[in-house]
Amino acid sequence: MELSLRTPDQTDTELAIAAVRGDGDAFGELVERYGLAARRVARAVLGAGDDADDAVQDGFIAAWRAIEQFDVARPFRPWLMRIVANAALDLVRRRKVRRAVAIPETVESKQISPDRATEDAIFRERFSAALNGLPERQRVAVVLFDAEGYGHAEIAEVLGVPEGTVRSYVFHARRALRQALGVYREEPDA
Amino acid sequence: MREPSLFGHEPDRAMGDMLRQALDGPDSEAFVARVRLAIGQAGRETSWDVLGRWAPAGLVAAGVAAAFVWMLLQPAADPRDSGSMLASAPVQMEVTPQQTESDVLTATLLEGR
Repeated sequence: MELSLRTPDQTDTELAIAAVRGDGDAFGELVERYGLAARRVARAVLGAGDDADDAVQDGFIAAWRAIEQFDVARPFRPWLMRIVANAALDLVRRRKVRRAVAIPETVESKQISPDRATEDAIFRERFSAALNGLPERQRVAVVLFDAEGYGHAEIAEVLGVPEGTVRSYVFHARRALRQALGVYREEPDA
Repeated sequence: MREPSLFGHEPDRAMGDMLRQALDGPDSEAFVARVRLAIGQAGRETSWDVLGRWAPAGLVAAGVAAAFVWMLLQPAADPRDSGSMLASAPVQMEVTPQQTESDVLTATLLEGR
């Protein structure tokens, strides 16, 4: 039995190479590293619910099964995140087919009375509403860029679009999110 | 929130913090553990597994292709059939004028009699 020792110093590529050779623990370490980022991306696409967690799980299983196809000369995290993002986007497409009229997740939250919520909570609420109002790909782009620190080129690889498109996605997403927060600031009594 | 340029090439930290707050789910450790467990149970697919999954369809496709090639080659394999088909039209054209000439000759001889 092969004894595998994991250290935090191991690069993604080293772990991926070990995973390609069949080392499940190495892939597990990659799950530890990227599981929560993948979850945030999936929740950005699908909202906070079991669907997002299922999409992440499906994505990681698909990545594990396809690990032999990973080109170790290329960075691992865009490859992985592309699989997870596609799993989430596929689920969105299936959802849209299932129900022609989607119910915005913010409907319920808008009914929270101001006297019950703190200012901070309302602020976050508006931010979430603005985020959910963006097209899915813009959400993925802005989350990967601002929250996860991905570069434009990496996001382009994740989404399968040119870098210029990614810049446009990030620009529009940031503008929409800031506008939403600006509206809040202009309405202090809300 | 301070507002760096919308075109900024650097991540907006404040925006990133808000995004993480908005998107982080509960029970992070349990979630990661669940995913790891699911991967362990799912097992891994080898190249042979992929090949095995595609083998029945591949065999059917190969069979259809082989039958198609056999059908294409079949006429060429029997030279007699192809010879008679190709030769029939010219032979007819060659024979017909001869028959006409003999009819005319016969009629002339009979009339002269």
